[in-house]
Amino acid sequence: MTKVFTIGAGTSAARAPRARADRPPWQERPSVAGQSAKGLSLGGVLAVMLVPLWIVVVTSLATPGAVNRAGGLVIWPDGFTLQAYREILTDPTIRTALIVSLGITVAGTALSMVVSVLCAYGLSRPRSPGHRLILVLLIVTMFVSGGLIPTFLVVTGLGGYGQWWALILPNAVSVFNILVLRSFYAKTSAELIDAARMDGAGDWRILRSVVLPTSRAVTAVIALFYAVGYWNSFFTVMLYMPTDSEKWPLQYVLLTYVNRGAGMPGSVNAGFGMAHAQTAPLSTQMAVVVLTLVPLLIVYPFVQKNFRAGVLTGAVKG
Amino acid sequence: MVVPAIVLLLVFNYAPLFGLLTAFQYYDPPAGVWNSDWAGFDQFRLLFADPLFWGALRNTLYLGLVQLVLFFPIPIALALLLNSVLSVRVRNFIQSVVYLPHFFSWVLVITIFQQMLGGAGALNQFLRSHDLQTWDITTNPGTFVLLVTSQVVWKEAGWGIVVFLAALSAVNPGLYEAAAVDGAGPFRRMWHITLPGLRTVIVLMLVLRLGGTLSVGFEQFLIQRDAVGHETAEVLDTYAFYYGITTGDYSLGAAAGLFKSVISLLLIWGANKLAHFFGEDGLYRR
Amino acid sequence: MRPELNRRSFVALAAATPLLAACGGAARQKAGTNSRAGLQAALPSHVPSSPVKPDIPSVAGGAGAATDPAFLSYPSNQAATVQGTPGRGGSYTAVTPLWGTVPPAGNSFYEAMNKALGVTLTMKPADGNNYNTIVPTMTAARRLPDWIQLPTWWNAIFDVGGLAGTQLADLTPYLAADKIKKYPNLAAIPTGAWQTGAWGDKLYGIPSFSSSFVIAGAVFHRRDILEARGITAGQVRSADDLMNLGKELTDAKRGVWAFDDVWTYLFPAWDVPLTWDVRDGRLIHKYEMPQFFEALDWHHRMARAGYLHPDAVAGQNANADTRFYSGKVLISGGGTGAWNLTDHQSGTAADKDYRRGAFDFFAADGTSAPRVAMGPSTNVISYLSDRLKPDQIEELLAVADYLAAPFGSAEYTMVNFGVEGVHFTMKDGVPTATEDGKKFVQAMTFPFLASPPAVISNPGAGVVTRDYAAWQAANVKSLYKPVFWNMNISMPRSLSGASAAQAVEDAVKDCYHGRTKVSEVQAAVSTWKTSGGGDRLKQWMTGNVLDKYGTGQ
Repeated sequence: MTKVFTIGAGTSAARAPRARADRPPWQERPSVAGQSAKGLSLGGVLAVMLVPLWIVVVTSLATPGAVNRAGGLVIWPDGFTLQAYREILTDPTIRTALIVSLGITVAGTALSMVVSVLCAYGLSRPRSPGHRLILVLLIVTMFVSGGLIPTFLVVTGLGGYGQWWALILPNAVSVFNILVLRSFYAKTSAELIDAARMDGAGDWRILRSVVLPTSRAVTAVIALFYAVGYWNSFFTVMLYMPTDSEKWPLQYVLLTYVNRGAGMPGSVNAGFGMAHAQTAPLSTQMAVVVLTLVPLLIVYPFVQKNFRAGVLTGAVKG
Repeated sequence: MVVPAIVLLLVFNYAPLFGLLTAFQYYDPPAGVWNSDWAGFDQFRLLFADPLFWGALRNTLYLGLVQLVLFFPIPIALALLLNSVLSVRVRNFIQSVVYLPHFFSWVLVITIFQQMLGGAGALNQFLRSHDLQTWDITTNPGTFVLLVTSQVVWKEAGWGIVVFLAALSAVNPGLYEAAAVDGAGPFRRMWHITLPGLRTVIVLMLVLRLGGTLSVGFEQFLIQRDAVGHETAEVLDTYAFYYGITTGDYSLGAAAGLFKSVISLLLIWGANKLAHFFGEDGLYRR
Repeated sequence: MRPELNRRSFVALAAATPLLAACGGAARQKAGTNSRAGLQAALPSHVPSSPVKPDIPSVAGGAGAATDPAFLSYPSNQAATVQGTPGRGGSYTAVTPLWGTVPPAGNSFYEAMNKALGVTLTMKPADGNNYNTIVPTMTAARRLPDWIQLPTWWNAIFDVGGLAGTQLADLTPYLAADKIKKYPNLAAIPTGAWQTGAWGDKLYGIPSFSSSFVIAGAVFHRRDILEARGITAGQVRSADDLMNLGKELTDAKRGVWAFDDVWTYLFPAWDVPLTWDVRDGRLIHKYEMPQFFEALDWHHRMARAGYLHPDAVAGQNANADTRFYSGKVLISGGGTGAWNLTDHQSGTAADKDYRRGAFDFFAADGTSAPRVAMGPSTNVISYLSDRLKPDQIEELLAVADYLAAPFGSAEYTMVNFGVEGVHFTMKDGVPTATEDGKKFVQAMTFPFLASPPAVISNPGAGVVTRDYAAWQAANVKSLYKPVFWNMNISMPRSLSGASAAQAVEDAVKDCYHGRTKVSEVQAAVSTWKTSGGGDRLKQWMTGNVLDKYGTGQ
């Protein structure tokens, strides 16, 4: 980003001598009213977003007594303990689950991206044969589904029960993501592609050296969508390996912490006496939420970086 | 190039479509799709004769349209606002906070709402302790639509801006500079450069959103159905769940699902036609 | 079976129509309701055993009800009830629902159990919260394990009646009448519990946690807080008393409300049956009874008066326990399973004076004798796969016999506490779990396959055992066997909607949350009777159950 604006600064530094490094020099100084309105609205948005996050974090660190005094989620810190995190992170199954999750996310995202980018590029070319029919074929799957059991029967029929691929292949293609990619591809690089074609470049080369470099922002966003989908998925685990606890990914293991005792119908049998499970303390449940957010906080800056990269390439090529 | 995607969809999305047959049966899971008794259109007749089904459809359309009007513009506005923040650090910080609620489960979101705004929540306990009139927010059927929409805004708006940010970053900054040099102010630059740059994406999202009008968020309504009663909170998905799945009347649920699919396809087809009418590509070129 | 299923799915996909036409309309025989005589022939004999004398012995009520025996200490000399190892080295897989964190595979407890059992029993617990989705996919793909636990409250969803004989093994040839004497610990399980696992006059299920005191639940209160205010449970003898108490206890300004949801546990006070009753030889549904609406009216008035916690009105029940522990709610309905050690631990962690109490059953009018319907003798039943060979079934039944060893025996100690010194140590005569014990043993797995009849035992919290046993003893005389008790009726699928009566139940909930009037529930009931299938349901129940098999009493 700095690069872009250094270029700009060189051309019209005279117009705004005291411009901050972040502001393009051609942009006028914002009015006080405009600035404060902007500040206020963003501040409001931030407050609304941060308060619940705060509550979740505080509750995850709260002692049982504090949760009890609050009668639920804790708003003001009142005692401090890492017990909830210790309980989860010392579970021996967590480490394998983390590796499984990483593997599924990386492999799945890679596969999905290859398939989706190819498909989106193929459909983005104006004269690609039958693209309308194929699009209809794609869009139908967004709204029509055969249902849970039939899908399950197809996957198990192909031998997917208890297999890793059953967690990836059935959801490898998101039509929504393909449509977004396609719309960006179709729009952003039309002239560049024509130029490359004049130079005799084939589709593969155009995709590799023109389309992908000019749409890094959207590619990063779609990769994020896929990665988040794989990372958070638990429903497929429940279907295809519900009893293979040593193969469970992280989200599913964490889910068992959240749900502990929750659905146990204590009402049904006096004999449960000893079996009646204790419901998970709220602090454990909130610790799970926090642990779910951590990987996202790590990954998101990399996606953000591509937003700026997009600006840069746009500026240079433009 | 489209072959891998098509193959995956054919195997994992088209092959299971035999399940749609259950909508025309008295489906009995242990017997399977191939051995259940045939019902013809009986399930649809039952469905269309049920006033509760029409109530659910009415609620779904109403909630879906209100959400479309109130929710859809917000991520765009937020993306524009964020994009106009000059400090990179502030912008990055806000960006990486606002998308986080997307990863909260609905159970948690609604628990938080209840604890803040519910009858025994922070707000009402404050009002009570000052002898003021309490404010019924979470169990008031009259304002339910606003409650659920604000929940959606809170949870999803930050996540929704990501695509628009990607689109914004693809707008050529040279255009802004040229416009500024020509004397265009910030608002004219937004109108003539930013928005046209976003147009394709906005239209695409709008068309997809219209197609998804009938999918208004199953879990959110499932959890809050008891708070305001089924007359207000029953949507097609909860109807199919309660009258199809929990009672074991799977075929009725499948019929409701198929009905929803057909209407959704009609909606997206219509939305796309509309986009073409306004000279936009929509989902595919004319 | 599997390859055939695959081929069918795919071939049929390619050329759907002809194949479908050939298959359409094939009628399938379901294992139906049990008949009286047929069932008697299949049921095992009951040979009670009592190796350890309870501190508070069982008290018998009417109609076969009896309180669970209670133990205040754990026996120090644990006698063995099984000779040698029950197994002969077979390998099996078992699936049970688990509401909690799954212990790692191959842990020291599983290994010790395998050694003690003489089989390789691979325990594969599945998430209990999603069990109702997991099992139907397994049965659809015919992938049931060798041994599986199917809780009775999901009988309709799992279609256990349909699975019996097609995917689940018939145990009648191994257990009927005196054959069960080969497995003395199984023989000590009361006959009623076996009846809950019988379908179409054949025996399929192995019961766990059977009890002669099974009820929907009770209306609990914070005994410590009420007594501190000079209120004892005995003072509440009628619905009016309870309403007045609600008024006295509610203090919204301090964030305290008297009630959480109590409907499910309180409506029997108006002498409303669980579903059906027979009056003058004719079947009558609870929706048709005037007292059903009197009960609703009371709950409606209670909610309108503002005695019901707002989160309960909002249907937010996930934190109901927290509300009760923190004293924001003082009266709450719930299953009697909640009256136990972990509840005591959670409660006292929140408030050191915490003590759970329950109101004795009363009749709403305050004068009649209270009547409370008994539930099925157990809700936890395991089944064996019908792919197993006869000698494999015998081996697993011997394993079940080990798991069902009575309270205080060596086998019971092993199953419930693990190996002494590894998974637990004896402290003050109480088996106390080590860290490994907490992780590997306390997650309930084996007892969900088979376990002895229930006892009340809360090592380290004698007050809970005494309170609960005393309450059971005081209320056992109010229990009665409802019509169709333990009968396992399998209804045709076309009646399942009418039976669930979702629209009426929605209206009922709206009413007891104070949102709609009783008259709207009455309107919902008349719609249900005509267009909702209610009348058809009653006809079917009369013709296919009442007239054919009687009331089961």
